[in-house]
Amino acid sequence: MKFVDEFRDKDKAKSLIKSIKAIAKNIAPRQTKPLQIMEFCGGHTHTIFRYGIEQMLPDNIEMVHGPGCPVCVLPMGRVDDCVALAERPEVIFTTFGDAMRVPGSKKSLLQAKADGADIRMTYSPMDALNLARKNPDKEVIFFGLGFETTMPSSAFTVLEAEREGITNFSLFCNHITTVPTIKAVLDSPDMKLDGFLAPGHVAMVIGERPFDFIAEDYDKPLVITGFEPLDILQSLWMVLKQIDENRSEVENQYTRIVQPNGNTPALAALTKVFEVREFFEWRGLGSIDHSGVRMKAEYAAFDAEKKFSVANIKIADPKSCQCGEVVKGVIKPWDCKIFGTKCTPETPMGALMVSSEGACAAYYNNGYDKKKSA
Amino acid sequence: MSDHENSQPLMDLYPFLHQKKEKPLQEKLALLDSIKQKSSQSIAVKEAFYENNSEALLAMAQGVADVYQSNGRMLAMGNGGSSCDAAHFCVEFQHPVTAGRPALPAINLLSDMAVTSAVANDVGFKHIYVRQLCAHGQQGDGLMGFSTSGNSDNLIAAYGKAKELGITTFGFAGGDGGEMKSSGLVDHCLVVDSDSIHRVQEVHVSCYHILWDLTHTLLADTRGKVTKK
Repeated sequence: MKFVDEFRDKDKAKSLIKSIKAIAKNIAPRQTKPLQIMEFCGGHTHTIFRYGIEQMLPDNIEMVHGPGCPVCVLPMGRVDDCVALAERPEVIFTTFGDAMRVPGSKKSLLQAKADGADIRMTYSPMDALNLARKNPDKEVIFFGLGFETTMPSSAFTVLEAEREGITNFSLFCNHITTVPTIKAVLDSPDMKLDGFLAPGHVAMVIGERPFDFIAEDYDKPLVITGFEPLDILQSLWMVLKQIDENRSEVENQYTRIVQPNGNTPALAALTKVFEVREFFEWRGLGSIDHSGVRMKAEYAAFDAEKKFSVANIKIADPKSCQCGEVVKGVIKPWDCKIFGTKCTPETPMGALMVSSEGACAAYYNNGYDKKKSA
Repeated sequence: MSDHENSQPLMDLYPFLHQKKEKPLQEKLALLDSIKQKSSQSIAVKEAFYENNSEALLAMAQGVADVYQSNGRMLAMGNGGSSCDAAHFCVEFQHPVTAGRPALPAINLLSDMAVTSAVANDVGFKHIYVRQLCAHGQQGDGLMGFSTSGNSDNLIAAYGKAKELGITTFGFAGGDGGEMKSSGLVDHCLVVDSDSIHRVQEVHVSCYHILWDLTHTLLADTRGKVTKK
């Protein structure tokens, strides 16, 4: 398959691993600790786990799995809000499939569906708009979830609903942004990360420039990365090369998709419909300033938060889980005080346990449920 | 496509990149609403706790009164914000602010930083309270611990040592109570059913204030007979 098979080539992978090991060996004498490279995006984490990339790396390189799964970081309170909306008899609640299993304080959307709520899985917000056209006597709500990647499709759908004069469609907006969150990690005083693999599909929308501050102000190399195994390996090599050469720059490995200036129509649509929230809670990480968006007042007719009087988001309370320390590279998952006790895959308190690709879930499922010394 | 074309949308999406405060009034309204929600939640957590735990708190107060009745001392421990609660707990008992209530011995086990740093450095942070219990703890004393997770290693280790020494154990925890609740090492363990560290700590503060009141009331019949060692 074009653009897929070439990026899974075993021989090329072996060659890249060899190059990574060579450069890591070069860097090693200058290190006082293992190099910690974060891949922010859940899609990258999935590839790393699926292809066993972490096991191929030399001992002086560690991957730190970031919180970049918009489903995993959804706070419990917002899932509760979703369930409350879905349980309204006049509502058809639509959502991406992976959001169905995220636990709220009492139940998930899947459990609410089992209890009789009309909840339907869709592949895009346009599917939800179509449902609204076909069910004029029902209120169709689309659960708008995801980073900058999925914001444009939500925005275009709202604009289309407005254009057609559809009155029974609304968006429950829980879109979040990656850039302020990376900044929040970088601002932590004991942050130990040495470089970043940046989310390629987010960059597809926003371009390269919003990441510049990471290299310029924080002196950390960043490579915009694709999602196949060779993309990851090549990007890792590029980050290591920067570290070896004492550079900090934003580089684009995913040039087949990402343009330097991003996607102009997508940016125009999303900034037409959405505005930045003052703060938004990320499960396990607390509130991060300006990391979420809501619909602008002029689109209140399509805003489920306004139409159905959903409570305003408050600044998150600090919780017992230590996801923040894990994503900064300060502690390992098993060092968290509630790892494997209050926080398990069945009862996930933090984002890193919600998805099977989260760092905590991965370690838990692989038997790292006893505390180990550093 | 030029940079300029997308500059404004990017400025709108990431105001911090351009040091821009977009809508100060809107921010103020959001923050005021957040205050209202948090204060309401704090009240709700407290009400739910006392609805379910008043009898257990009274039993804890009787336990503390028994310690003082038999000329024991209270020893207190915690980490971080909970260490502030441990210190505050000790201040209440050592420094009664109302007339007619005696000063009672209550020792904050984190007050000696030299010992704490020595043990932490030489043996490990897990042992900072255990070592001090070995030196100071005696049968008939009481050990009070504060932990929002209930899973602090150094507290659990200290509780274990306390049971060996014949010390009555008391604790305030949060969440599901963690190991403090499940280990069986804490004779009187009260748990605030909340995952918010701040809400848990707010209940703990009100608890030991009330605990102090109750303890003195329970000791009232023997007031004047409680002597220092």
